[in-house]
Amino acid sequence: MDRFLESLGEKIYQEKFVLSISSVLGFLFLWYLITDLFGFMPAIVLPSPEKVFFTIYEKILVPVGEEKLFGHIGVSLVRILVGVGIALGLAIPLGVLMGWYEDLDSLASPIMEVLRPIPPIAWIPLAILWFGIGLGSKVFIIAIGVFFPTLINTYIGVKFVDPLLIKAAQTLGAKDKDILWEVVVPASVPLIVAGVRIGVGLGMMCLVAAELVAASTGLGYLIMLGGDDLKPELSITGMILIGILGLIADRVILGIERRVIYWKKE
Amino acid sequence: MAQKKNSLVSRRVILAAVSVTAVIGVWFFLTSVVRMIPPAFLPPPQNIVTDFFRLLGSPYVGHTLVGHTLVSLQIVLGGFFSALIIGIPLGILMGWFKRIEAIVDPLFQLLRPIPPLAWIPLSLLWFGIGIQSKIFVIWLSAFVPCVINSYTGIRLTEPLLVKAALGLGVKRQRDLLREVAIPSALPIILGGVRIGLGSAWMTLVAAELLASDAGLGYMMQMARRALEPSVIILGMLVIGILGALMARGLRALEKRVCPWVKEEEH
Amino acid sequence: MNEEHKLDKLTAQNVSVMFEKDDTSFLAVDDVSLTIQEGEFVVIVGPSGCGKTTFMNTFAGLVRPAKGKVYMDGEEIHGPSAERGVVFQQFALFPWKTVSENIEFGLKYRGIPKEQRDEIVKKYVQLIKLEGFEKSYPHELSGGMTQRVAIARVYANRPQVLLMDEPFGALDAQTRTIMQEDLSEMFLTEKRTVLFITHSVDEAIYLGDRVVIMTARPGKIKKIIPITRDNLIPDRRQMRYDDVVNLKEFLELKGDLWGLIKAEILEKHIL
Repeated sequence: MDRFLESLGEKIYQEKFVLSISSVLGFLFLWYLITDLFGFMPAIVLPSPEKVFFTIYEKILVPVGEEKLFGHIGVSLVRILVGVGIALGLAIPLGVLMGWYEDLDSLASPIMEVLRPIPPIAWIPLAILWFGIGLGSKVFIIAIGVFFPTLINTYIGVKFVDPLLIKAAQTLGAKDKDILWEVVVPASVPLIVAGVRIGVGLGMMCLVAAELVAASTGLGYLIMLGGDDLKPELSITGMILIGILGLIADRVILGIERRVIYWKKE
Repeated sequence: MAQKKNSLVSRRVILAAVSVTAVIGVWFFLTSVVRMIPPAFLPPPQNIVTDFFRLLGSPYVGHTLVGHTLVSLQIVLGGFFSALIIGIPLGILMGWFKRIEAIVDPLFQLLRPIPPLAWIPLSLLWFGIGIQSKIFVIWLSAFVPCVINSYTGIRLTEPLLVKAALGLGVKRQRDLLREVAIPSALPIILGGVRIGLGSAWMTLVAAELLASDAGLGYMMQMARRALEPSVIILGMLVIGILGALMARGLRALEKRVCPWVKEEEH
Repeated sequence: MNEEHKLDKLTAQNVSVMFEKDDTSFLAVDDVSLTIQEGEFVVIVGPSGCGKTTFMNTFAGLVRPAKGKVYMDGEEIHGPSAERGVVFQQFALFPWKTVSENIEFGLKYRGIPKEQRDEIVKKYVQLIKLEGFEKSYPHELSGGMTQRVAIARVYANRPQVLLMDEPFGALDAQTRTIMQEDLSEMFLTEKRTVLFITHSVDEAIYLGDRVVIMTARPGKIKKIIPITRDNLIPDRRQMRYDDVVNLKEFLELKGDLWGLIKAEILEKHIL
């Protein structure tokens, strides 16, 4: 309600700021309270905030499992990048061709429609069977996760391009193939990037899932190890890092979006 | 003109049939006829069918196919509905009352980037291997989109509509919320529900892969250990079909609850 | 204008077109025949939805007539071509290309080398009075500017025929007047064959050599009125729009035309 009463304006703004800060501080304080001060929670269930902090510090220097902290981060990063790369390299061209050539669409769509509803995570057992627990299975799962949203968005972008633009190009002398690459694809870029964004988000989830189930390195592995070894501070470390990684990935894509769609308003 | 349309439709159907038959045909050929691919790696297509009937009748790792499916469904729906009940009202309140937003939002934004799956080990640590740990994570994964979409839906209420209602005599905040904001936000809220369901389903599969003694994910994991990929694939297909059915059901619900919304293509 | 026999540039013979919307199809254009000569500026006027655009699209090659044929220079029209340039009502500029790049678009497919393209673009940017905006994107331009670029884009491609579908319909009154004067001027400088669609009777009389009045659903030709030669001042195109519009001959003609159209609207309950 206050949203619509503009007169309250600034007063609300300041109040909001105070409330937000107190809320975060309150949360941290509560956490500290129940772990350290009063010892309500045994350390194996919920570690205190500073324990998490020190763990992070420690693991930068001391390895966990096979790697130190940055090693784990690096491994996860590599998996994500390779998976995303493969997926985009397949999904975008395929999406463009499927959206433009009706026959290809008729041939490929049924297969896609059968595979698409299967959640990428459901592929994990099969992936492990096929690729073992190395890089391959992780990349495979991530690629599947990124592939489908990107494919669909690209497909829709190309298939439902404003027909007016195509007519304009035709009456200016462009032929079929030129129209595809000079008009339809640039016009579809906003949707393609939106698809990439969704896909990468999904890919991050797939990374975590794959690393939870079968890995010996990586952030997901850390999270898993924390649970197995009764060291929740490890898990929390992994979770925080994954969260940060996800945020960074999202920001990067937003940045790319802004540069690539320089011609749109806003 | 009408004739042209018909022939177009049947061309699509023919090509679709061709492509599906070709894929299954090659698959059959490589596994059954030529035996290039070992059955422990990729089963012949007919095995999946026979396994389907086998698992309908006799239990596999504890339950029949239907049994496992019901276990999974129960857990998913349990977590999902509890997420709706808490998430949607919370999102609505956050969207309407700036004060509530100020308190809840920062905590929410901190926890949001962490994929729900990543909570699984902690959840296991806190709640044990039982159903509660799974329900917690599933609840979390459906909770987030519900809150976000409800919040966004309310925030996007057209001020113009509110002013119109005020001008028509609506006085109490409660009524404005009920009569204007919530109905207008409903399509977006339902969108969030749909995302939440998909997310919940995915999280369930992951949770069952990691720590379960029943359910479709567990079934697939056991099949992997036993090197029976046909059961894995069977599980994948069932999961996919169930997911698609649930999504379709939701979409039909959306149409009935929000009949004023324009139809989207996809 | 002299009376010498000109070439038939565009011919429509008994053209009928079906229009499909959702699941129904109806007759949009009913047995229309029209011949446009080279260098002529023909305007089609008529109430909304009377099939004007659909008819023009047969000349553009964007629509196939269900019955009858369309020809250009005696050869049947099968599809779109750069020789029949179209200016759309909704502008249809490529939003990811600058003004220059938009104007340059068709020239590439004509195989014109880069330096020559740049010169042509420069010339047309000057013609539409948009110097300084060569690197702007369509979303940065006003409606009038955008439409000018759309016209320049087609003009620069030097099609033999220009098909213009209510190109000034989305513009405000003042901009519209300026665009009409500009178009007249362009037409005087570089004469092409033009088929122009509009709602506005004023615009039709100001711009056209002949005005074709179409009926409402289904579209048929109600009457064709020649503007040049018999009726009006031949050099009206060199006069300012405001001066022409107040001439006695103009007002008389406008009255006649408008009467015909109004009758059509009332009869067919279009409003």
